[in-house]
Parts: sequence; structure tokens; C-alpha cells
Amino acid sequence: MASKATVITCKNLTYTYPGTTEPALDGIDLEVQRGEIVLITGPTGAGKTTLCSSFNGLVPHFYGGTLDGQIYVLGQDVRKTTAGYLSTKVGMLFQDPSSQLISATVEDEVAFGPENLAIPVEEIEKRTDSVLDFMGLKAQKGRPPFALSGGQQQAVALAAVIAMKPEILVLDEPTSNLDPIGTVNIFSLLRRISREEENTIIIVEHKLQELVDIADRIVVIDDGKVRLEGPPREILAEDAVLLRERGLQPPQVSLLAHELRETGIHIEGIPLTIPEAFDTLSKALQTLKLPLSETKAEETKPFQATSKPIIEVQNASFQYPGGVLAVQDVSVNFYKEDFVGIIGQNGSGKTTLVKLLNGLLRPTRGIVNVFGLNSRDSPIHDLIKHVGYVFQDPDSQLFSKTVHQELSFGLKNLRVPRDQWESRINSVAKTLLIDSLLKEAPYSLSRGDRQRVAIASVLVMEPQVVVVDEPTTGQDPRKRREIMELMRMLHDKYEKTIIFITHDMDLVAEYAKRCIVMRDGGIMLDGVPHEIFLQYEELEKTHLKPPMITLLFKELGERYGLRKDILTVDEAFDYLKTKLVS
Amino acid sequence: MAFEYVPGHSLMHRLDPRTKVLFFLLVTVLIIVIYDPIIMLGLLAIIVAMYKLSGIPLSKLWSITKALLPVFIMFLVLNYFVIPPRGATVYFYLLPGIAPVTVETTLIGITSALRFVLFIWLSRLLTFTTSISEILIAMVKMKSPPEIATSLGIAFSSVPLMINQFSTVIQAQKSRGSQIEVRNPIKKGISFIPVVVPGIYLTILRGMNVARTVEARAFTYNPAKRTFRRKIEFGREDYAFLATAGLFTAAVVAIKILYGWFDYTFILRDVLKLV
Repeated sequence: MASKATVITCKNLTYTYPGTTEPALDGIDLEVQRGEIVLITGPTGAGKTTLCSSFNGLVPHFYGGTLDGQIYVLGQDVRKTTAGYLSTKVGMLFQDPSSQLISATVEDEVAFGPENLAIPVEEIEKRTDSVLDFMGLKAQKGRPPFALSGGQQQAVALAAVIAMKPEILVLDEPTSNLDPIGTVNIFSLLRRISREEENTIIIVEHKLQELVDIADRIVVIDDGKVRLEGPPREILAEDAVLLRERGLQPPQVSLLAHELRETGIHIEGIPLTIPEAFDTLSKALQTLKLPLSETKAEETKPFQATSKPIIEVQNASFQYPGGVLAVQDVSVNFYKEDFVGIIGQNGSGKTTLVKLLNGLLRPTRGIVNVFGLNSRDSPIHDLIKHVGYVFQDPDSQLFSKTVHQELSFGLKNLRVPRDQWESRINSVAKTLLIDSLLKEAPYSLSRGDRQRVAIASVLVMEPQVVVVDEPTTGQDPRKRREIMELMRMLHDKYEKTIIFITHDMDLVAEYAKRCIVMRDGGIMLDGVPHEIFLQYEELEKTHLKPPMITLLFKELGERYGLRKDILTVDEAFDYLKTKLVS
Repeated sequence: MAFEYVPGHSLMHRLDPRTKVLFFLLVTVLIIVIYDPIIMLGLLAIIVAMYKLSGIPLSKLWSITKALLPVFIMFLVLNYFVIPPRGATVYFYLLPGIAPVTVETTLIGITSALRFVLFIWLSRLLTFTTSISEILIAMVKMKSPPEIATSLGIAFSSVPLMINQFSTVIQAQKSRGSQIEVRNPIKKGISFIPVVVPGIYLTILRGMNVARTVEARAFTYNPAKRTFRRKIEFGREDYAFLATAGLFTAAVVAIKILYGWFDYTFILRDVLKLV
């Protein structure tokens, strides 16, 4: 039996899902103490969610499969108890917020758990009110959860778990739908709960830098095994490069420090936060004659069109039938050589704007011209030949028996002559590295491959413009970069125009050539990322934050006159190297 | 939507769902015993007043009624075919030799069409003023297992989400050139496969997710003992409302039996002396 202070004990925990042969968990050894905040991280498919599901007994009781080794939660042998019982003590927040909202109103949602615990009505009302108040959801009390934004839905789902007052909180990516500022708020809320109520909290996250000073311990999982374990400062600082190799995202400033150190520059300690990095670099920069007076790179060109626009949006507005004005009097042009990242809060009109570009939606006011066609009186058929649209979730479009059939669907619809099918399908499949999967069933593929099939099914129609709506949401940092590398390849090698929507500022900073910031249905900023991300105050108004490295160079620039327009670790490294090595 | 709820605090909103069911039954009795189209119009006026008092915009009533108009006309016309003229004057035939038009068949036709309208108006009035959760609690009170009430509740609240997901699927397929808006019914059927297959997949996924969530929120721990936060209670208003409606119905039935009133021709012939 576990000692009194130990709440979770796993010994050689091994678990295999039914119908599979590879174990999802492969000999996990882990102990969690009461009151601890444990951060579990690792690439997609590492077994993080499976491990979490074993803490409340969903593994093995709900999913089936075979479980070996030992797992004790609050002194109970998980195998011998039920998920229903464990769930009264272990609250679990799942990844996708909308998948776990089941009630007609926000209030009902939050009360559902406490009702199941047979708590008296008055107590439930009190708890519901206080939790909703706490999460800033009071105004949404009577609204249906599905009508809320992604961020609010996530807050409701979390409130529903917290209202049950579980001894152990297990949170699987609790901030995936939140903006940077919302994320920080949730993490500090969790710290407060753990201090005040002595709750144990287990968080699965990719956002490591925000949790440096909140988590007591980091557990890195890969291939169903515990790979690294220890205090966050130690793991993130010393193993930053290793973490990146495993597809994770250690703080940018730690990576920069490591890279500088490897070139022989003397770096004292590995910083984890912006102030720490500022101090570390200040020391390293003392060899220079400060202050310098470089504020910008020699040639950051302002955004300038070199050709005629291929898509013209003129004073376009779009109002949904329910009356929501999602896009308001927007005028913007897109050019053949564009690689545009569109950012903005949930509900700022990003998706509505891009749906206007291929005729899925037609402007209720104003004009959208797509390759010379007025979208209002051109059939969608003619528009999608020019503008391909890839939806976020591949599962909302794949339906065929084989990948090959899936790819021929668009060709058939566009009445492309049959003798061209094979060559088109084969070349696209090769480009996307799915040529070996053509005979497979789409549903049997991994999520990443399904996404590639979905992209391929649009590319076979050979559109000039490829619109991708949140291709990176719900993926680990490595998968996100893979998708973006693919987009870059389509842009560089096949001269495709790329328009993508994302919440990940680091990706926009690294990949986009042009950045559009939306707010309240309008375009707030439009320009090259190197200019956009220096407008710190403007961005903050709409809850966006430049990459960590950019914020560091804001400080360095203000104090020492270094360049401020640094958006990626690579840029920072190259820049500092030329300064420090010479 | 068939289960649209209009929030409010009117008498109709406050009534216990069970009262509303009983009220519905009482009005059904009225619908059965009353044959007079003018009295039927009077009842319809009462329902309209109740809509007004419940704070439901009459535009909603009109949009329901618009959809009923074809059915209304169908009821009217079909009646000429099925009701034999009982010795009344035949003005003309709708088709040569069949479907005679008389005063009586016209009145019967109008009445049965109005009955249909009344029936729909009343049932929509009740669903407009009763939330799903109230219905579910009424089910639990009437001794149905909490599992059934809870799963029905989840199913209803999943509807908007599923509609959303389906429209995403449709848009995704349109972006791949799928022609969902073709006229030919066979082609239309086939064109729906790319929508239906992901739709089924997403529905199953939703089912799995809901089951997982319900488990993780400890529903299966002890469903029989769980608290139902909302309570419904038979109050003074319920008794008063039911008594009024009951007395009214009983009076109508009694008068009908004793005096033979409320027949098709009652007001037109015996009161207004028109026919």
C-alpha cells in the first residue's frame, strides 16, 4: 500500500487498447504526492492522455483492453474499483472542450457533476455560482454551452470539473483554446486551488514556459515510457535541446542560451524566463561597446505588392442569418506571392473572412473578386478551381473506402478528364508523402496522415490559392512545424499562394511573409511579421502576444540599442553570434 | 425547431409540466366534443390570448400557421370526399358525380381543419413554455429511471452541436466540388453520401465522448440517489388552473349531452338563423 501522502502510485504500468498490439503505456513508474502540481508533457501519441485516463479508471474500465502492472489511486487498486467511484475523487478535463459539454445551459453543465454526487440542492447552487464567478462566466450562466467561443467552452468544462471539488484534478491540455492572457490566468487559478485546497493537480501541456514556476515537477513521456522526470527548472534548462528533439517546445530563451553556449560564447546558467534571459545576455553583452544603435535589420522591406491582386475584397461585410455581423466592411487584397498568416481572437472573423474567398459564404455587402470572378454571381464550382479550402478537422470530410478514391472525388466533381486523374493523384500523393497509402482506408490512418489526405484532396484540384483553417490546433509542436514546412514547400516549390489561420504566434513569426491581425470583424493590422510583432500594445489590445524571443529583444533593444525585430530563435542566434563572436 | 423554448416567467411558464399535460388532455376532450366552427374559432382566440400572455411573439405563431395552410386546405377538400351529404342541398360537385359540396360538409371540413390548427397551436404553446429539463424532471417524478431522463436531456442538448458539425461537413464537401444542391432526387441521394458518412462517424464519436464525460463526472457512481437540482411542485396556481380548465370542459360536455349544443349547425342555424 502507498504511504499516506502518496495519492497516485504506478508501478510498471502497462496498458494496451483493445484491437491494438502496441502498448500505449509501457512500464510507467510514477508516484504523485498530495498537493503536488505535476506537469506531464510529451509528443502526440506518447501516451499522456492514456495515462491520465488510468487515474480515474476510464482505463481500463471504460475503454477495455489489457492492463498490467500496478496502479493505486488514493489507496484504491484501480483495477478493482469502478470509474464511477474514482470519478467522485478524481476530476478529469478532456482535451477538446466541446466534446465534453453535454447540458442545455452553462449552469446545468456545472451543476451536473455535483448532482451526481448527491449533494443537497442549496450547496450545488452555491458552488455553481461561486465557480462561475471565479471563472468569469457569470454572464453566460443561462446560455447554451455550444453557443460560446472555444475559450469560454474550455472555461465551462473546467468549471464543471472544479465544481465537483475532486481531491485530484487531471487536466488534459486545459488551455489549448485560450489566448496567451487567458492561459496565464488559468494557470495562476490552478496554483491558487492547489494552495488553498491542498489539491493534487496533474496537467498535460505543451506550453512549458508558462508553467516553469507553477509546476513542482515535470514528467516527460514518450512511446509510453517516462523519459525524463524532475523539477521544471532543471529539466527545462539542462535538457532543452533534448526536449526539442523529442518534438517539444522548451522556452525559446533557453534554446537560445544553449545554442550560444555551444558556439563557445560564455553563458552563465540557462535562463527560463524573459527577465532571467535579459540578465544572462546583459552579462554576455558586456564585451561590447554599449549601447549600440541598431533598431532594425538592414533591410526589412515593408509589405509591398509586386503584381496585380488575384483576390480583391472590397468593403465586404458578412452577416450570419442569426444577425451576427462577423465581418465588417473589410477591404484587403491577396497576391500570388502571398504567404499570409491570419491571427486574432476567437470570434474576430478570421474563418468568416477566408470562407468569403472561395464562395462558401457570399458577402452580404460589398464585393469579393476571385480571379476576376465576382463571388456573388459565380457558382462555387468555378471559385474552388482557384481557391482550395482545407478544413481543420479531416474527419469532417473523409468518407471514401480508399485514399485513392478520396483524392479522385474532387476531380470527378470538377469533371476533369479521366486520363488526367492518375497523373494528378500520383503527383500530389508524392508531394505529400502519402503515395504509399493510396490503397489504405482513410479512417485507418493516423491523425497526421488523415490531415495530409485532406490537404491532398484539395490540392488535386490544382487551386492557385490554398486556404488552411487552423491546421495546427491540437497538435504537438513538432507536428505543427511539419504542417507548416509542407505549406512552405508548396509555396516555394509549387508557387502556391498560402493563407493560413492559426493561434500559434511562433509559427506566424517563423513562416508567414505577411500577417493579418483581425479584431471585431475588421482588419486591425496588415503587414510583414517583422513590423506587426513590434506593435506590442496594439497586439495586447486584442489579447495577442509576440513570441517570447521578440519580447526579450524588446527589452534588450530598449536598454542596449540592439535590434528589436527578432522573431525566431534562429534569427536571434545568428544576430547575437555576429555580435559576440567577432 | 420542434423543441424551441422561449424563456419567460408567465403563468404558462410557471405551471408544472404535469399540469400542462393534463391541460392538453382536457383541451383534447373539447376538440373531440365541439363540432361548431364558430365555437372552434373562439377556442383558437383563447389560445392566441394565451400566447400573448405567455410573452411569445405572435410572429412565431404566424410562422407555424403559414406552414399549416396547405394542410388546412387539404383537410377542407378531403372532407368533401369522405362525408356523405345527409339529405342537404347539394350546391355542386368538386369532381363529376363525387365530392358533393353542401353547407354541412363545408362546415365539417372547416371544423376539422380548425381542430388541426388548434391542436398544433396548443402543443407548440406548451413546448414554447416548457424547457427540456422540466420535461425530464417530470419524467423522473413519474418514476422513469434517471438514466433515461439524463440521456434524453444530453441528446437534446447535442442537437445544435450536431447541426453545426453537419454544416461543416457540407461546407467541406462543397469546397471539394460536391454538388449537394442538384435537383435530380437520385443524384441528390448519391451526393449526400460524402456528407452522411463523415456525419455518422462524427455522431458515433460524439456518443463516445458523451459516454466518457458522463462517466468522468461520476454519473454512474449512484444514479438512483443523484440530486435533481430543479424541482417541480404542484402549487396553488396549478390547482386553480386545472380546476378552471376542468370545470370549463365538464360544462361543455354536459351541455352537449343535455342540450345537443356545439354541433356544426348550432350557432349558424339556431342562434343566428342564417341557415
